[in-house]
Amino acid sequence: MSSRRDFLGEVWRWTGAALSVLGLGVVWKSLAAKGESREVDLPSDLVQRLSGDGGQGIAVGPLFLTGTPSAPKALSLECTHLGCRVAPLPSGAFACPCHGSRFDSEGRATSGPARRPLARAVLEKRGDRWIARI
Amino acid sequence: MDREDLTPAAGSPAKPSGSFGRLSSGFLAVSLLSGAALVPHYDPAAALSSLESIASGIPLGAFLRGLHAWSSYGLLLALVVHAVEVARKRTEGQLAAGVWWRAVALLPLLVLALLGGFVLRGDAEARAAADVWRGMTSSIPGAGPPLAALLLGGPGSGLGAAALHHAGTFSILLVILTVEHARVVWPGTRPSVLAALASVGAAGLLTVPLGPPPPGHGVLLGPWPLLGLQGMLVDLPAAAGWIVPLAGVLLLGSLRGAAGPARTAALAALAALAAGWAAFTLRILVLAGH
Repeated sequence: MSSRRDFLGEVWRWTGAALSVLGLGVVWKSLAAKGESREVDLPSDLVQRLSGDGGQGIAVGPLFLTGTPSAPKALSLECTHLGCRVAPLPSGAFACPCHGSRFDSEGRATSGPARRPLARAVLEKRGDRWIARI
Repeated sequence: MDREDLTPAAGSPAKPSGSFGRLSSGFLAVSLLSGAALVPHYDPAAALSSLESIASGIPLGAFLRGLHAWSSYGLLLALVVHAVEVARKRTEGQLAAGVWWRAVALLPLLVLALLGGFVLRGDAEARAAADVWRGMTSSIPGAGPPLAALLLGGPGSGLGAAALHHAGTFSILLVILTVEHARVVWPGTRPSVLAALASVGAAGLLTVPLGPPPPGHGVLLGPWPLLGLQGMLVDLPAAAGWIVPLAGVLLLGSLRGAAGPARTAALAALAALAAGWAAFTLRILVLAGH
């Protein structure tokens, strides 16, 4: 036969367990909320510098801009293998300094452990400014 | 086996395998003290410049940083040798199961603390290491992205979370688990002096790198204990980055209670992992042109 003390002990234990699960859930939810898509403001003077003749593009934060001032294109510089920042090469290709993945000028994976192409940012013109969403 | 088993049976005295264990406690003490001395001068929001200020702006700053780094690497080496010692002398049974598994957890905890310390440099190699750490952790099914956010903060959120875990979470856990395992707070004068002398010698002779890597290197190298992992990730799927270390920890933990062919198989698998780690270290060094 269980005593009143045993019963209260059980209540405390279950309450503690429920609060722990609830707390973990709150922490989990707040942590999982990270990593949504973000916007990058592209300075208009940089966009104006795009030559559009297939020459060198311009690295802006996490992006690499090519194309023309009226129709810019932006590739993410984040390697699709494990997220290192790839380096633009003089040839127009990209190289990852962490595990040696290579991408061509269109961002397609050509060698190394990366399989997926570099992400292409969605560009949107807002007034005079270009906004990239990655 | 429970705590009672810590008491040796009559006629078969326990054989502590603690010489390198005590040495690792000494290295831990040096690492914690030198780390505490660095904390007031380090700024996670301006990591690289604050480390450059430490190196050139405060008396013995570069030496202090070297002392912290080399004592931490000394701790890792002493811990690995201690694990080999324990496996060779079969003394793992002297610990209760829970204490043994928590002692085994010291190894991955220390590696995480070392990786955190490397990331806190804030230079190109450190940023790349942080990216890989985040990418690798995120590849853990289900728990990956939240775990990465917990360890490193959100993408683009700076080094605050890494600094907190390096100086706080991991260090505190290392101390708690070490004290629980060794059952002493002070490892003794001899191992402490030996660890201090080795760390001082290394800090005086060897510079801890900081800033841009030497020109002409196409691959940025991570911390040297993890070069095997970096090499592995060139050829194996990203999930190998956590599956292989986890397998190593589970194999080491399973030694307690394993006997006969099972123990031999676990030891053989651990030896194969170590050999693979060495081979992949060589792989990444070759790729980096060293």
